Amino acid sequence: MTAVIETRSLSKWYGNVLGLSDVSLSIEPGVIGLLGPNGAGKSTFLKLITGQLKPSIGGARVFGQIIWNNPKLFSRIGFCPEADAFFEDLTGWEFLVNLLRLHGFPGAEAKRRSERALEIVELVKDKDRLIRAYSRGMRQRLKFAQAIAHDPEVIILDEPMSGLDPLGKRKFIRLIRDYRGEGRTIIVSSHVLPEIEALTKNIILIHQGKILATGDIHDVRELIERHPHIISLRVSDRRRLAGRLVKEDFILDVRFEKRPDTLVIETRQRDKFFSLLPALVLEEQIEVEEITSPDDNLQAVFDYLVGK
Amino acid sequence: MKKPVLRVFSFFFFLTKRSRRTRVFFFFSFLPVLISLVFKMDQVFKATSASVMPTFTSIILLFELQFLILILALFFGTSICSEDIEGKTLSYITTRPVSKPAIVVGKYLAYTLITILMAGAGTIFSFLILNAERLLQPSLYLELFRALAVLSLGLMTYNAFFTFFGAVFRRAIFFGLIFGFGWENVIQYFPGSTQRFTIVHYLKSLLPYSGSKVSILTFRLEPTAPGLAVLALFLITAVFLGLACLVFSWKQDIPED
Repeated sequence: MTAVIETRSLSKWYGNVLGLSDVSLSIEPGVIGLLGPNGAGKSTFLKLITGQLKPSIGGARVFGQIIWNNPKLFSRIGFCPEADAFFEDLTGWEFLVNLLRLHGFPGAEAKRRSERALEIVELVKDKDRLIRAYSRGMRQRLKFAQAIAHDPEVIILDEPMSGLDPLGKRKFIRLIRDYRGEGRTIIVSSHVLPEIEALTKNIILIHQGKILATGDIHDVRELIERHPHIISLRVSDRRRLAGRLVKEDFILDVRFEKRPDTLVIETRQRDKFFSLLPALVLEEQIEVEEITSPDDNLQAVFDYLVGK
Repeated sequence: MKKPVLRVFSFFFFLTKRSRRTRVFFFFSFLPVLISLVFKMDQVFKATSASVMPTFTSIILLFELQFLILILALFFGTSICSEDIEGKTLSYITTRPVSKPAIVVGKYLAYTLITILMAGAGTIFSFLILNAERLLQPSLYLELFRALAVLSLGLMTYNAFFTFFGAVFRRAIFFGLIFGFGWENVIQYFPGSTQRFTIVHYLKSLLPYSGSKVSILTFRLEPTAPGLAVLALFLITAVFLGLACLVFSWKQDIPED
């Protein structure tokens, strides 16, 4: 298969700060997950391959052409930025129609495409509301809509699921999965492994501006399994829950945080823990306020890969 | 580049019409109407019939040229290259098949037209209020036309100048204030050719000059010929807009983290 995006020794510095270092990659059609912790260089990489940043060294090509200051290529590329920023005085409909007019679509065609994109992201009934009145989930979906409305061959999504609640994330994952058509190249960045895992097997691991690994997500999953997962729970009765959890052999450690309602557990079998938890809390009638598992212990994998 | 410029123009004209900022500045640009109303009421109560044209010229000279259009151009012009970076909406525009110079020129045209409409509306209403009894005199409308033309040229030039400021400086409004209310106001009181280093000099050269005293300083305009003044204004516009396009072409959307 021919590479759609190619980078050669792609590097970017912001003054003395390294953004990306010596990245040489060939990206072929399909869904690719760009995985890395916050500040790893994901946004820098995506902005370099969309020509929003000029490389300090090396270069990026899309469809064989240099992307920097090459606006013609954007009729074939859709970009969904990470920032939750919009032209707030517009309605969702006006936002899409006007952006499509920037592509050069005549009025009727721009409206038809906007309608179609809003249908895909299920925002048709809210299309005439001002964007400032949209919920976070609706805003994320609108960002996705503007990236796909002109039917591009390459779609680049920078942290499209950040800030979404679990239901919103599931909806969004389904949306991207439904949309991946034949021959399209979709790059999705995230710092949360399960988000990427739900979308694709192909990943690029990025850390401290360097590409650590590319390939199958199962290899990463195996690495993760070797490291304990840390899961934090805010519950109504942490003592009772801790008492039940210590009896389980796959729980490595249970400890109480300073906060009176917070319990932190360590396990190597994250999936087993999450399948047991609902039954446990129902049985013990414990209310769960919050469950957090930051980065799904990706940091441990990155530390392992960089040899810490 | 023509078509992309028009596309950007349409987008930002539509967007700016809807913005809160435009509404605020629209009311602000109606201040001359208030001044005219006060003057007219005073004239009615005192039952005088003195010519109102010097008052109209003063409004144009002192309020509109040296204050209103500077403020409008300062806020709209400096935002052309900076607002989408600060508002993080730049990627929506720069990831379209539109070149960066086309973005700058299209936005500049949209903002210039909006500011001309704002300043023009206030000027027309002031004129009509001041000349309420003489509205059927066709010669008066030549004065109105001249005032509108000078204001339009002023906004065209200042907007281009401040577009460049917005592309170059992080605190463009601060530097714009220094330029607009420092340099532009002070240098024009200097005798000789020094005043030709201001934009307002060329604008004032296009208006009737009565040698009036302004504040404690005597303002002595040594006007440039009208044709040359218009040429200078177009030249300043082209140079600074071109420079702004050049600077913006190298602008990058740097991520926060």
